[in-house]
Amino acid sequence: MAENKILLEIKGLHASVGDKEILRGIDLTVREGETHAIMGPNGSGKSTLSAVLAGRDSYTVTAGEVTFNGRDILDLTPEERSFEGLFLSFQYPIEIPGVTNVNFMRTAVNEHRRHKGLEPLNAADFLKLMRSKMEIVEMNPSFSSRGVNVGFSGGEKKRNEIFQMAMLEPRLAILDETDSGLDVDALRIVATGVNKLKRPDNAAIVITHYQRLLDYIVPDVVHVLYKGRIIKTAGKELAREIEERGYDWIING
Amino acid sequence: MTENYIYAPEHNIEGGFRCKVPLPGSRQVFMIDGGVQGTGRPLDIRFERGKIYGEALQVISIRTEKHPEDISTRESFHFEEGSSARLILCSHTFAENPFHTEGNVSITLEAGASADIVIMQNEHNRATHNTRFDIHIGEGASLKAVILTLHGGVIDNDITVSLDAPHASCDISGLYLVDGTQKVTNTLKVLHRVPECHSRELFKGILDDSAAAYFSGLIHVFPDAQKTEAYQECHNLLLSRDARAFAQPQLEIYADDVKCSHGATNGRLNEDELFYMRSRGIPLKEARVLQQLAFAYAVLDKISSPELKERMASLTERRLRGEFTDCKSCCRNCC
Repeated sequence: MAENKILLEIKGLHASVGDKEILRGIDLTVREGETHAIMGPNGSGKSTLSAVLAGRDSYTVTAGEVTFNGRDILDLTPEERSFEGLFLSFQYPIEIPGVTNVNFMRTAVNEHRRHKGLEPLNAADFLKLMRSKMEIVEMNPSFSSRGVNVGFSGGEKKRNEIFQMAMLEPRLAILDETDSGLDVDALRIVATGVNKLKRPDNAAIVITHYQRLLDYIVPDVVHVLYKGRIIKTAGKELAREIEERGYDWIING
Repeated sequence: MTENYIYAPEHNIEGGFRCKVPLPGSRQVFMIDGGVQGTGRPLDIRFERGKIYGEALQVISIRTEKHPEDISTRESFHFEEGSSARLILCSHTFAENPFHTEGNVSITLEAGASADIVIMQNEHNRATHNTRFDIHIGEGASLKAVILTLHGGVIDNDITVSLDAPHASCDISGLYLVDGTQKVTNTLKVLHRVPECHSRELFKGILDDSAAAYFSGLIHVFPDAQKTEAYQECHNLLLSRDARAFAQPQLEIYADDVKCSHGATNGRLNEDELFYMRSRGIPLKEARVLQQLAFAYAVLDKISSPELKERMASLTERRLRGEFTDCKSCCRNCC
């Protein structure tokens, strides 16, 4: 692993919302081809970390740096980070009534193409691409004409997230509790989708509470986040140990 | 109906104006400075008893520099028993004069008639246009109207709907897009005079800069009007700190077996939705437009004709992208 190129490097990251400091010194290095899991009790800062990486402006970065693909991204807008190849799968995907999935994704894909200096895809090519990517998550094509996530079940929303990921082909995908609200079948479909998208030059950070998802998406490294810091890093066996023993032994150890 | 208006198959008037809205199989009549092109008289249309009109009738009212003085206009549409027709009513200004127009539109539906109306208001910033809509709906008749206020200095719509006989129904929606110092007022009075009538109103506005919008909606249910169903909603999206939206829903109910509701909200763009779109690579500016279009969609979706809906959606999009400010001399961006 060590010879792989570094994709994401976080050094001493502190972030606050209002007066409240939530991230209190995160250090994390993710290399190409790696899958990292971040676990931790509620309120430890997992979702904050993903939101800060994606550029949500309700959080203020007070210290530290984040280098992605060799570039400092903390001053970039969310859309610029997306162009750089960062993707966040939301824990609670947002519903956008009135904007159809197809319009939403066509706009996003064509903005990515424009950023790369490519012509927009024509309607036929776009639909073809969309269909092939929907198959990855076994998504019903009828979803494309519906409002983004409107009236979707929990499982359908998460499939839609992975479908969007498939369309945008990010270098780094951050999956924020993609398993929450999923039944076993949906979990398998979503996880299979993520695995199909894995390439030697991309990477994923999987944020989860449970071992369950990690049975399908097997991590190379597992981190435990607690009170805004990574307090333990180990191999995939750590997830199983947490499943059996909880977090107390790590927190108190 | 063909006898009492001038059919303009070339869609053309002096000055080379050419309306590009017309749908396949629509007929057009021009009202120039308050008079029907050719005769100068008020418009008076009757839809004949029992007749289903396949062609939409488009009435294009324009103000020109030949008559810069204040004028009042009169248009009357009478739907005889069991008739059915589609109307498109457009109003435009063709010169930069500070026009002041007092419009009177009377729409009467006899028993079993049905009217499907789209009203498009697209005038320049110095124009003041007050329109009084006086609507009567008879037994089992139904009216559907969508008012799209695209542009205009001071636009004032005063709409009175009288549900005169049982099972009359109306569905009236409005979308107003205002910026700069524009003002739009929609005043609605829906009178449920008799039992078993239905009414529904949905008004939505998008306001930028220091624009203002006023909505006042009264639902009046008369003492004997049991089994009334009346629903009213008004929602405004404010894009700037200086924009002002006022909503005044009013229910006056004098019957005890009715279903009525009203709701009004004034809000801003949704930050969560914006962030979600941006995280997918949609730039902030584009995300804002998409969200506004999504907000407007519920009203545009009420337009029955798919072609007209698409046309109006595209005009709405161009308006929201700020393209209408490119042309100083007029607002004929729809053509």
